[in-house]
Amino acid sequence: MTMVEDLGRLSERSGQQADALQDGSRVAVVGAGPAGSLFSYFLLNMADAVSLDISVDLFEPRHFCHRGPAGCNHCGGIVSESLVQRLATEGIMLPDGVVQRGIESYTLHMDVGDVEIETPLMEKRIAAIYRGNGPRNSEPLDTHSFDGYLLELAQEKGANLVPRLVTDIQRREDRMSVHCADQYCDDYDLVVIATGVNSRLMESLEDGSHEFRRPGRTKTFICEFHLGRDVIRETFGPSMHVFFLDIPRLKFAALIPKGDYVTLCLLGKDIDDELMEQFFSSPEVTNCFPGGFIPDHVCHCYPRINIDAANPAYGDRLVMIGDSGATRLFKDGIGASYRTAKAAARTVVFHGVSAEDFEKYYAPTCQAINRDNRVGKVVFGFGSLVQKSRFARRGVLRMTSNEQQQVDASRRMSEVLWDLFSGSASYTDVFLRTLHPAYIGGLLWNLVAGNVPGAKRRDGHAQEQEVDRVEH
Amino acid sequence: MSNTKAPSKQVFWTHAQQLEKLPPCQAQCPNSGDIRGWLGIIAQHEKNGLTSEQAYDQAWQKLTELNPLPATLGRICPHPCEDLCSRDGKDGSVSINAMERFIGDWGISRSLRLSMQAEEENSASIGVIGSGPASLSFAYQMGRRGHRVSIYERHDAPGGMLRQAIPDFRLPSAVLDAEIQRVLDLPVTLHKNIEVGVDISFSELRDKHTLIFLGLGAQAARKLGIPGEAGRGVISGIAYLRQRKQRVGPRTGARVVVIGGGNTALDAARSARRQGADVSVLYRRSPEEMPAASDEVKDARHEGVRFEFLVSPTRIIRDGDEVREIEVQEMRLGEPDTNGRRRADPIPGRKRRFGVDTVIVAVSQAPDWTGLDLEHTGHQWLMTEEDGKLAENLWAGGDDRGPAIAGKAVAQGRLAAEAAHAELCGERHDIERQDDRALQSGQVKHDFYRAQERVCRVRRPPEEWLDTEEPEIDQTLGHEQAQEEAARCMSCGLCFDCGACFMYCNGGGFTRLEESHPGHYFALSLDACEGCGKCIEVCPCGYLEIREPEE
Repeated sequence: MTMVEDLGRLSERSGQQADALQDGSRVAVVGAGPAGSLFSYFLLNMADAVSLDISVDLFEPRHFCHRGPAGCNHCGGIVSESLVQRLATEGIMLPDGVVQRGIESYTLHMDVGDVEIETPLMEKRIAAIYRGNGPRNSEPLDTHSFDGYLLELAQEKGANLVPRLVTDIQRREDRMSVHCADQYCDDYDLVVIATGVNSRLMESLEDGSHEFRRPGRTKTFICEFHLGRDVIRETFGPSMHVFFLDIPRLKFAALIPKGDYVTLCLLGKDIDDELMEQFFSSPEVTNCFPGGFIPDHVCHCYPRINIDAANPAYGDRLVMIGDSGATRLFKDGIGASYRTAKAAARTVVFHGVSAEDFEKYYAPTCQAINRDNRVGKVVFGFGSLVQKSRFARRGVLRMTSNEQQQVDASRRMSEVLWDLFSGSASYTDVFLRTLHPAYIGGLLWNLVAGNVPGAKRRDGHAQEQEVDRVEH
Repeated sequence: MSNTKAPSKQVFWTHAQQLEKLPPCQAQCPNSGDIRGWLGIIAQHEKNGLTSEQAYDQAWQKLTELNPLPATLGRICPHPCEDLCSRDGKDGSVSINAMERFIGDWGISRSLRLSMQAEEENSASIGVIGSGPASLSFAYQMGRRGHRVSIYERHDAPGGMLRQAIPDFRLPSAVLDAEIQRVLDLPVTLHKNIEVGVDISFSELRDKHTLIFLGLGAQAARKLGIPGEAGRGVISGIAYLRQRKQRVGPRTGARVVVIGGGNTALDAARSARRQGADVSVLYRRSPEEMPAASDEVKDARHEGVRFEFLVSPTRIIRDGDEVREIEVQEMRLGEPDTNGRRRADPIPGRKRRFGVDTVIVAVSQAPDWTGLDLEHTGHQWLMTEEDGKLAENLWAGGDDRGPAIAGKAVAQGRLAAEAAHAELCGERHDIERQDDRALQSGQVKHDFYRAQERVCRVRRPPEEWLDTEEPEIDQTLGHEQAQEEAARCMSCGLCFDCGACFMYCNGGGFTRLEESHPGHYFALSLDACEGCGKCIEVCPCGYLEIREPEE
C-alpha cells in the first residue's frame, strides 16, 4: 500500500481516524535540514512538557561536516533578523562559528547607480551562514555548519540520528513503514518528510500516488568565490550586495560575504547559461570585484527552489514540512521551515496525527505562507517592472539614497527594499506598505525628480562613491 | 553529450563518470577473486529480487568461476584479501575467508554443480600429473571448456598437499572429497595410484595427450643435514602429516621437537599435540620472520605448543637407536637477505640441548623429479612463462614452480588453462591486467558507512580443540551472520545502490535501471549533468569520479 490510499482517504474524508501519539510511539523524520532538526527539537520539547514518552529517528545519510556540495544544503545562507530573534526566543543562539559574518547593510546595485541601505534598526543583524561546512576544499578554520548545529541541538534533545538514505515510504496497515537504500525497513506511528525539493524522495512519492502533487520547482544558481577575508572586508564590507538588473527571468541576484568567500546567488525562473552570461558580463557585477575581475569560482550548484507547495502536505500519520510542505517564495526558506516545523510539532503533540488533525491545525500555517507568496509574486512583479525601466530605477535609487542621507526621516523605500531582500517581513506586509500614500507620493516625486536633468546630483553622490571604490 | 553544451565562462564543470575500480581484496587475492562481486550478490540480493538462497547459489557460481574449491580455501587460505580491506580502517576487515567457507559449504550442502563453458569442438586430450589444487584448477578450467582431462595421481586419493598434509582439524576430508568430486563430474577422469615414471613413462603420456600439465607439487622433504638425523625417531613433517591423515601412525615419543616455522611445521606440531605429546617448535629466526600464518601460531600456542626462537639444530644425539637430545646453536638476527628476511647468524659458543624423543623436520620441501625425464630438472623449481607455459604443449602450476599458498596454485592452474585453451583454439591470450584501475586512497569514504562489528569466525570452545573425534575447530557462519558480514563489504569502486547520486543530483542526471545487478543500478546522463560534482562527493565507494574534460 502506498500513499495513494492514505491521500485518497483524506479526500474522501472518511475512514478510520489515526490516533494521537502515545507513550512508546515512534516518529521518523526524513531529512535533517533545518525543518527536520527543528521539528525534532520542538517535538521532543513539547512531548517532554506533557510527559509524552516518544522516540524520534532522524534519517540523514549525509554529513554536514563535509566541505563542498556533499555536506551542503544549497542556499544563499541568509538568516533574517526576525528568524534570528525567533530562534533566540526558543533558546537557540547561533554560535559565532556558525555565523560567517553579520550583515549590517545591503548595497543595491543598478545601472543608474548604487546605494547602501543600512539596517533599519541598529540591533537587527542578519546572519550569513553556511548550510554545510563551507565550499569545496575550503580551509577548516572557523566554518561551522548551520544545519549541523541545528542537528546537534535535536540530538541533544534526544533525537536519534539514523545515517540511512530513505528511498520509499509506504503505509502498512495502521502504521507507516520507512524503506532505506540499504534494505533496512522499519515501522513508525508518524512519518515527517523534510527532505526539501532537492532530493528525489518526493518525486517517488508522487509517482506512487494519484492524489499527491509535490511542490513545483525552478532552477537557481549558487557559487562561491574565494577572495580572502581581507579583500572581502575591503571590497564588500559587512554588506550584502543586491543587483537590480534588466535581465529577463532574473528575479534576484546577490553577493553575500562569508569569511574568506563570497556566495553568489541567482534566483529567478530557470536560471540558465544565457542568463548567467548576461549577468557575469554586467559592469554592475564586475565592478563589485577587486580590479573589476571575476575570479574562478571554487564550488557551484544549481539548486531547485519551490515555486509552489505540496498538495496536500499531509495525510494520516504523514506530514511534510519545510520546502517539502510549504515555503516562502525566493526568501527566508529557513524561516518557513521554522514555522512549519513548529506548527507540525504542535499539531502532533497537542492534537493528533490524522489527516483531519493536520488539516485543522497544521494546514493554516501552510495556507498563510502560500497566500503570502501570491502577494509576493505581485511584489516581485512590480520589482520586474522597475528592473525593466531605467526611468523607474532612477526614481527608486533617488528615493532610497535620499532616505539614507537623512538621519531622522522615515525610510519607506529603504524598509520596503530591506524587507524584500532579507525576507524579514511578510510579502503582504511589504505590499501594504507600498500602498501607503506617503510611499506612493514619495516614489512619484522621486520618479519625476530622478529623471529631470537638473535633479540628478543627489543620486550622483552614490555613483561617485562606487567609482571611488573601484579605483581603490 | 553535454560537452556540446557551451557552459558559461564563469562555470567550471565537474562532470562525473561511472568507472569500476579494482578493489584491494581482489588486488591482493593471488587468484584475483571477484570477492566484491560475490559478496555483493548476497548483500544486495533484495534489491535484485533474489531470495537469500538464490543469492547464495549465484554467489557460489561466481566464486567457482575462478576457484573450484571454495569450501577448502575458505578453511585454509591465509586470506591476504583481508589484509588491505578498506573496512579495516573503520571496524575491521570483512571476514572474507569465513564468507568463502560459508558459500563453499552452501554449495556442498546443495550439491551445486560446476558450470560448463562447453564448446563442442574443443575436445583435446589433456593429461594432468598430480591432483593438488593447481592440477584440480587446471583440470576444472579445461574440463568445463569441453576438453577431455585425465589426472594421474600417485597416491590413492586426489588432492595433493590438501589431502596429504593439511590435518583434519583444519580441513575435514569430507569437504575436500565433495569439492574434488565436482571437478570429477566434469569430463575429467582420475587415475589413482599411477606414478609417472614407474607405472607409465612421461614420454608415453606426452604421446597419449595433446597437452600435459605438471602439477607435481613439492613433495620431497628437505633434510637438515646434521649428525644423527638418519634413523628412527626423526621424520619429515610431510611424511608425519601424511601418516596422521591416514591414521596409520606413527606414535611419537612423549617429547616432540618440530624444526621449522612454516605451516607444515605448525600443522605437525598441532597434530603431535593431538597425540598427547609435549611439543616444542624450534625456529631459527624470531616470531616476526615466521612464514606460518600468525593465527596458526596463536592457535598452536593455545593448544600448548611451545616455541623456541633463534635456535638452529646442529646435532641429534642418540642413545643407540633412540633419539635422546637435540643440540641447538643460538642465533641472532643480522642484515636482511635478498628476500628481505633478516638473516640468522650464529652466536659463537652459545649452544643448548633439549631432551627429545621424536624430531619432526619441516624445514622445506622441493619437487620430486623422480621418473620425469624433463630437461628442466637442472633448476630446482620449474621456470615457466608467466602463464605457466614450460614448452610446447607442456604447462605447469603449483608448488613445482615455487612454494606458495594453495590460492596461488589455483590461480596458476586457472591461468595456465586459459592460456592453453586459447593456444589450442589458435587464439591469442593475454593475462588480464587490472592494476591501472586500482582504487586510490580516499576514494572510499568511510564515514558514509555505518559502523558494524566484524563477524568473527565461529569456533568450538578451546577446551574441545584437542578432541580428535570432532576435529575441526572453526565452524561455518550461520545464515544471519553471513548476511551481516556480506553487508559489511563496502563494495570499493563499484556501485552498490546506496542511492545517493540518484537522490541528490539536482539535475536528475541519474536514472534507475530496470534490470539491476551489483554495479549496475543507475544510468548517468551527461545531458542533465550540471557539473557541480556533488554525486562524486557523496559516492561512498569511489565508483563515480571526475571525468577529465575532452579537448
